[in-house]
Amino acid sequence: MRYVVGYSANARGHDAVNLAVSLALGRGASLDLVLVVPEVQHSGHAIAPKAGFENLLNEQAQEWLDQALALVPSSVPAQAHIRSHDSDAHALIEAAEELGADMLIIGATSTGIFKRFTIGSVASALLHASTVPVALAPHGYYRKEALTRISCGLGTRAGAEKLLDFALGMASNRDVPLRVVSLLALDGADAADSADAAREYAAKCLADALSAGGPEVSGEAKAEAQVEAKTEIVVAHGRSIEEAVDSLDWEDGEVLLIGSSRLAKGRSIFLGSTAGRILRALPVPMIVVPSGYELKQLNHSASSDTPREAQQ
Amino acid sequence: MSADHATPNPSHTGQHTGQNTGQHTEQQHGLSEKGLKAGSVGLIGAVVIGISCIAPAYTLTAALGPTVAEVGVQLPAIFLVGFVPMLLVAFGYRELNNAMPDAGTSFTWASRAFGPWIGWMGGWGLIAATIIVLSNLAAVAVDFFYLMLAQIFGNPELADLTTNLPLNIATTLVFIALACWISYRGMETTKSVQYVLVGFQLLVLAWFSIAAFGHVANGTAFDATAISPDWFNPFAVGSFSAFAAGVSLSIFIYWGWDVTLTMNEETKNPEKTPGRAATITVLVIVIIYMTVALATLSYAGIGDTGLGAGNPENQGSIFAVLAGPVMGPFAILMSLAILSSSAASLQSTFVSPARTLLSMGHYQALPQKFGRISPTYKSPSYATIASAVAAAAFYVITRTTSENALWDTITALGMMICFYYGITALACVWFFRAEAFSGARAFFFKFLAPLLGGVILLVMFFKTAYDSMDPAYGSGSSIGGVGLVFILGMGVILLGVVLMLVMAKLRPEFFRGKVLTRGH
Repeated sequence: MRYVVGYSANARGHDAVNLAVSLALGRGASLDLVLVVPEVQHSGHAIAPKAGFENLLNEQAQEWLDQALALVPSSVPAQAHIRSHDSDAHALIEAAEELGADMLIIGATSTGIFKRFTIGSVASALLHASTVPVALAPHGYYRKEALTRISCGLGTRAGAEKLLDFALGMASNRDVPLRVVSLLALDGADAADSADAAREYAAKCLADALSAGGPEVSGEAKAEAQVEAKTEIVVAHGRSIEEAVDSLDWEDGEVLLIGSSRLAKGRSIFLGSTAGRILRALPVPMIVVPSGYELKQLNHSASSDTPREAQQ
Repeated sequence: MSADHATPNPSHTGQHTGQNTGQHTEQQHGLSEKGLKAGSVGLIGAVVIGISCIAPAYTLTAALGPTVAEVGVQLPAIFLVGFVPMLLVAFGYRELNNAMPDAGTSFTWASRAFGPWIGWMGGWGLIAATIIVLSNLAAVAVDFFYLMLAQIFGNPELADLTTNLPLNIATTLVFIALACWISYRGMETTKSVQYVLVGFQLLVLAWFSIAAFGHVANGTAFDATAISPDWFNPFAVGSFSAFAAGVSLSIFIYWGWDVTLTMNEETKNPEKTPGRAATITVLVIVIIYMTVALATLSYAGIGDTGLGAGNPENQGSIFAVLAGPVMGPFAILMSLAILSSSAASLQSTFVSPARTLLSMGHYQALPQKFGRISPTYKSPSYATIASAVAAAAFYVITRTTSENALWDTITALGMMICFYYGITALACVWFFRAEAFSGARAFFFKFLAPLLGGVILLVMFFKTAYDSMDPAYGSGSSIGGVGLVFILGMGVILLGVVLMLVMAKLRPEFFRGKVLTRGH
């Protein structure tokens, strides 16, 4: 497994590295820290040649990356890359594709004072175009231990099955419990009915995923049983999606998986309005999975998994 | 090269696994190569960059009036002559840039050639020139902003708002702050926007010229003046003082052209493209300057009343006055062209002093904080803000002391460009002295051309500085019987000397020649 981390030498970059370490630890993944520097252009009037500033910029970027690598514990293999591009998001997606990464990890912007997550322009561009799952670290994410639980936000639209497959695979690979979460914004009277319907739907989806799921999952009955035992379904409701999110308990070592909206083109991500609202209230990292995305290398346990570049 | 601070360091300390190290170094190498993006600019792209660095619509409105005030109808002659020293210096500039590509340009090169003190002043001259042009760009943008509002709402009173001193200063400061913010955020004008801006400027300037000649032909011109061969004769200029002042102003109108010569590695054909681009750029620019200069003179004459190009009232910004009568209802296009080109130029010009300040901070010639790069936006952070504060301060001082701030800043600017270009050209001669006679090419480009160019510019600088002590110089503003242009120009240079001495006290390493060493 290989994760690309969008790094910048600020709080947001640190959040991303911390989350990347957490995610890598349970999977034996290796990290590629990518720092994007802008393409230097010529300026008006008194000319300021590109080359000189490019050198200073690269020197500084190298220094920043050295500091970033020092944040990564020695148990996680990590490399650093400098990319030159006008668009950070574009450069990160390119890097992820080139390096064959399984996930892109970035920090949410740090300027949101009242909300835990605010999507910066880079994150939002990434969420609109990435072909691999994108993990967003909330502001101030400090945890560097392996995940303890995975939550999977279940919508009622097509594509939920693929997302559940992905979530089941991820939970079983990491040997952590899976929680299937249905978030409802309701008021008063028919709340109970809707909640029941949602629970039923979630249970049915989960059962389908468990029995018919990916071939790799069904191939091993033992793993399946293990996963089933560690799976729970919760339905959270409130007057708004934000309230529903707040009403749930979240572990420190938890992440929430959600699927991208139907608006997404092909296999890229588009954050729907519900997901956007979840993000604003969520205290834990969120991983947005492109529609139709399938987890690679299922059933490699954390211990036997070897970083792909080490095999080459 | 003991001062090679600026090469990226491929070695890496933070590796966790031995296995990765090799791969990493290799990739790092590949990436830094990739960072140069070889072969991305074609001939037309390079010409567009060159023209957009010059910003001809802005340059003409700012420089045409003051130049006419100096040399009268010999305006076309001076515009042609002014290109010669620019060309000669640019050759030296290109040689230095090839030998030592560095963000500090004049500062670094003059330090390597003449040592830290002259180097520091060379850098200061560059910074001062760019700070001055920033304040002028903002002021021109503000003038045309209000003019355009007046044209949009058909209410001429709106255009007069720019003469309201507090409002004018406040608006200018807002423009400077906005441009600084955009530059700090690392946003740059994209290529397609550049193409549009350049095309639009050329179109509007051509329109203006055709319309002006049309008025002359129809007999509706303000002061129809027949074009005479004498206009192209630089020796017909009344005095050497006027000639020197005119040349230093016309250095300004070509300022930025040299960018085309330094675009080597990023052009599709590094052997041929920069030279061709530079030639085409200068042909386009000279043609448009000649046409507009001739059109303006034939339409308006150089009389000092009404629309005359010799009227001191008109000289701060000639198109603000002439575009209306010449282009009629389409004058708004001129306002739009100048507003857009000066606003775009304002934002992109911020990069020049910021990079020089950054480089000086990096080489310990300024406090460390000038060397900071924003971790979020990857732009010079402290240096960009410092430039904006300086430009704002310069504008406020000029605006409140001068009767015609635009005119006086442009004159002081011409002087400052002569100063730092002169130093840079001589730095080239001195730096390459050992190889000056190694061949015909080296002799011409590394010795003769920069020597001639440098000497011409420094002569222009001293002559203009001396003349500007006269209280009647420029717009005729003075303080204590001394011309304001002299006070502005010399004040800025003296301020540089004082700051240099303070820095020498605070951070002596650079001034002992330990950071940037002399010679090869």
